[in-house]
Amino acid sequence: MQYNVTVIGSGPGGYVAAIRCAQLGFKTAIIEKYDTLGGTCLNVGCIPSKALLDSSEHFHNAAHTFKEHGIEISEPKANITQMIKRKAGVVKANVDGIAFLMKKNKIDVLTGVGSFVDKNTIKITAKDGKETQITTEKVIIATGSKPTPLPFAPFDKKRIISSTEALELKEIPKHLIVIGGGIIGMELGSVYARIGSKVTVVEFLDNLIPTMDGTMGKELTKVAKKLGMDLYLGHKVTAVENKGNEVAVKAEAKNGGAVVMLNGDYCLVSIGRRPYTDGLGLEKVGIELDKGKIPVDDHLKTNLDNIYAIGDVVRGVMLAHKAEEEGVMVAEQLAGQKPHMNYLLIPGVVYTWPEVASVGYTEEQLKESGRAYKTGSFPYKALGRARASMDLDGLVKVLADKTTDEILGIHIIGARAADMIAAGVTAMEFRASAEDIARTSHAHPTYMEAVKEACLAATANRPIHM
Amino acid sequence: MAQQVKVPTVGESITEVTIANWLKNDGDMVKMDEIIAELESDKATFELTAPQAGVLKIAKAKGETVPIGAVICEIADGAGAAAPAKPAEVKTAAPTQSAKPTGGIKEMKVPAVGESITEVTISTWLKKEGDFVKLDDIIAEVESDKATFELPAEANGILRIVAQEKTTLPIGGLICKIEITEGAPATTTNASVPTATAVSSGDKTYAAGHPSPAATKILDEKGIPSSQVSGSGVGGRITKEDAEKAKVAPTTKAEAPKVTATAPVITSGGARNKRSEKMTSLRKTIAKRLVAVKNETAMLTTFNEVDMKPVMDLRSKYKDKFKEKYGVGLGFMSFFTKAVCVALKEFPAVNAQINGDEVIYHDYCDVAIAVSTPRGLVVPVIRNAESLSFDQIEGEVVRLATKGRDGKLSIEEMQGGTFSITNGGVFGSMLSTPIINPPQSAILGMHNIVERAVVKDGQVVVRPIMYLALSYDHRIVDGRESVSFLVRVKELLEEPGRLILGV
Repeated sequence: MQYNVTVIGSGPGGYVAAIRCAQLGFKTAIIEKYDTLGGTCLNVGCIPSKALLDSSEHFHNAAHTFKEHGIEISEPKANITQMIKRKAGVVKANVDGIAFLMKKNKIDVLTGVGSFVDKNTIKITAKDGKETQITTEKVIIATGSKPTPLPFAPFDKKRIISSTEALELKEIPKHLIVIGGGIIGMELGSVYARIGSKVTVVEFLDNLIPTMDGTMGKELTKVAKKLGMDLYLGHKVTAVENKGNEVAVKAEAKNGGAVVMLNGDYCLVSIGRRPYTDGLGLEKVGIELDKGKIPVDDHLKTNLDNIYAIGDVVRGVMLAHKAEEEGVMVAEQLAGQKPHMNYLLIPGVVYTWPEVASVGYTEEQLKESGRAYKTGSFPYKALGRARASMDLDGLVKVLADKTTDEILGIHIIGARAADMIAAGVTAMEFRASAEDIARTSHAHPTYMEAVKEACLAATANRPIHM
Repeated sequence: MAQQVKVPTVGESITEVTIANWLKNDGDMVKMDEIIAELESDKATFELTAPQAGVLKIAKAKGETVPIGAVICEIADGAGAAAPAKPAEVKTAAPTQSAKPTGGIKEMKVPAVGESITEVTISTWLKKEGDFVKLDDIIAEVESDKATFELPAEANGILRIVAQEKTTLPIGGLICKIEITEGAPATTTNASVPTATAVSSGDKTYAAGHPSPAATKILDEKGIPSSQVSGSGVGGRITKEDAEKAKVAPTTKAEAPKVTATAPVITSGGARNKRSEKMTSLRKTIAKRLVAVKNETAMLTTFNEVDMKPVMDLRSKYKDKFKEKYGVGLGFMSFFTKAVCVALKEFPAVNAQINGDEVIYHDYCDVAIAVSTPRGLVVPVIRNAESLSFDQIEGEVVRLATKGRDGKLSIEEMQGGTFSITNGGVFGSMLSTPIINPPQSAILGMHNIVERAVVKDGQVVVRPIMYLALSYDHRIVDGRESVSFLVRVKELLEEPGRLILGV
């Protein structure tokens, strides 16, 4: 065999798995279809969207809050071409970084579509059609996911676009219609809302970001409305039509049946992502998909002893850091170690402004399971630090077990939520109680004080600053 | 219904076990099949599981040796556990309030324990001040310069200690008083029974026994359930350090040796402290059997020397390749084991044993290898060594030695050897007379390899030499056989090629 381990897909799951394998002494190869490494996350996902998010936030501040801060400038103008160019630079630096890491760890990078010949042989077809074959003892499938199209309106990539195209627009949309008020829709919708687009969001469910705790969706709704976004919650899209320079969207209220006709210049379809296994040749090795996903056991092993799968192609949330942890877990298992993953404690983050972040159970889940819990929350408005920076939107909500006080969930919407949630994850990994955090010194003035205050509220309803 | 838990039958030759460790405390709520104690026999360590869920009532304390079939604890079932679940009803009051004092006081004095003994030292109080003691309960351990003896209570009542631990008293000196009572306090045992849900101590919480992420991985890799580790972190959490220190089996006995200092008799400077430790069952068995061998066999030893150069040359030439191919190092054990097997075939008496009026000959070679472990000497067996390849033998040696060191050898793995090899050389022994491992009839002693001046073809040359010793039972092995056997082993080692050809 040429390789101990071959990883198919170089997204955050794949490249991290490859590095960990190499660290553990395996001769490792990584196969990537595209010319740059990093997968969706680095090329057309997390990183570029954050680059645009920050640009749009700077613009928004220049246009709206500088004056209040005492900074006088002539009216700012959004230059989308420059924003996209800067974003491309950020992406390039990141993907080059991955290429460097592959070299540093002596991982062979094979460019082309990886496809099983048999369970130990993989054929790599390059763009020019050239085929090579390698043999490998173990395989880690990390081919990720693609945006899901509407069944009646496939992506035309001109007017009906996915997140990938939304990161490459040449102009600021006059009216962007977003179908799906989930994480991706709200992140990109808020980007364009801040730089001047009219943004309309159509969501089938009755709440934005419906996978998160209900309170988060409600708060985000307030923020979105403040930003001038039009929201049609509980609406089902029935037709999307590209009319050349325009796109028309037809939606119906789920219960009332009232029909809404929307006309915009772009329609972003962000109704979810589907596992991507095209061209993998899974049938050659006898792996059968289950609702599009590759079935795996608790150790992420497929029905074949030497083939593992991680990240978006398997069960669980589609998040880069979940894939990374799984990559490490598989690599260490191959080395005979026994790593452990706690899926409950994979944090979820929405990069809107303000950010939303959460870990553990949502209030809805606790209610449904009948668990006795108590809640504590604390608004950013009452926080000195938030007032100083004018980031007053948001709150922290802590859910704790009614009798033991063990923290069961932490949900934050507000500035820096994405970074703050890490402290919550750590606390929950150690099964801290709300009082444990409440009795832990937090620096002043910081946003994290809101977490401490929410814990005080949860443990005995005794926040100091409320 | 309380169920009595008896010492299970663990092996045909085992008649008694020692309670190495209680993993659960008296009064703990235990789950069915949960491991509650570790038992130690002279051969191996066993885990005792709870036959049903309930409250544990320990009958035999840690360190006690009990025969097979004896009751070592009781487990009261759910109904029994529920009864004391309301702490308010549990009488935790001082026993004086429930046991009726009679007003009488028994003074306990140092008894005359031997004619030459004039004073004793209180080494340990087994009961505490204010405890209720029953007549004949052992309440203290007392030590003289000759022996340690136990002090039984001379009355039922409340203990009032007069002489503290380490106090030296003359014969007749006052040790303690017992305030005599009628009847015993009914609730002393109940008081220690915690409820199933309530936590037993203040710093134990819902998170007690929860391993940190790093600790989880370490414990999983060691194969230790977190329930067997006691957490030292906040609220009883298992920290990374706890996990790193956790041991698989009680390889080292958790029991702290009972250290009892004796006042020095001669005051000539220099400490003269001694300490006494209880012998483990394993040690006791070793002692008994070794003396038996000396008494019951006609044991003597023959010696020879072997030039190790050919084996060492062969080994240094191929050890890397061997390791690469088989994943196990090429040591000397495989050479010796193979040589012994060839020789055993040629001298079957060495591989035989006496059974009453019969001699049992073996046409296979089950070679036992002596392994020194923290608990004492154990002798696991390499089965059918004659049919194993070098790498298989080395693999077995590593596997058995590792298990031996970890205290995980099973009885089966230590039973039924037909011949033994012991290697005192690893500790630097030049020459020794090993003792036969009964009922076997012979044992080969390996020793250290030293460069010695030897004469080869009329020339004095330096060669790596190992002395070999073969102790054998002269009742069935004659001098001719034993000496020839050892010479044969020597030949095979000095010309390893003969091992292949069998000549």
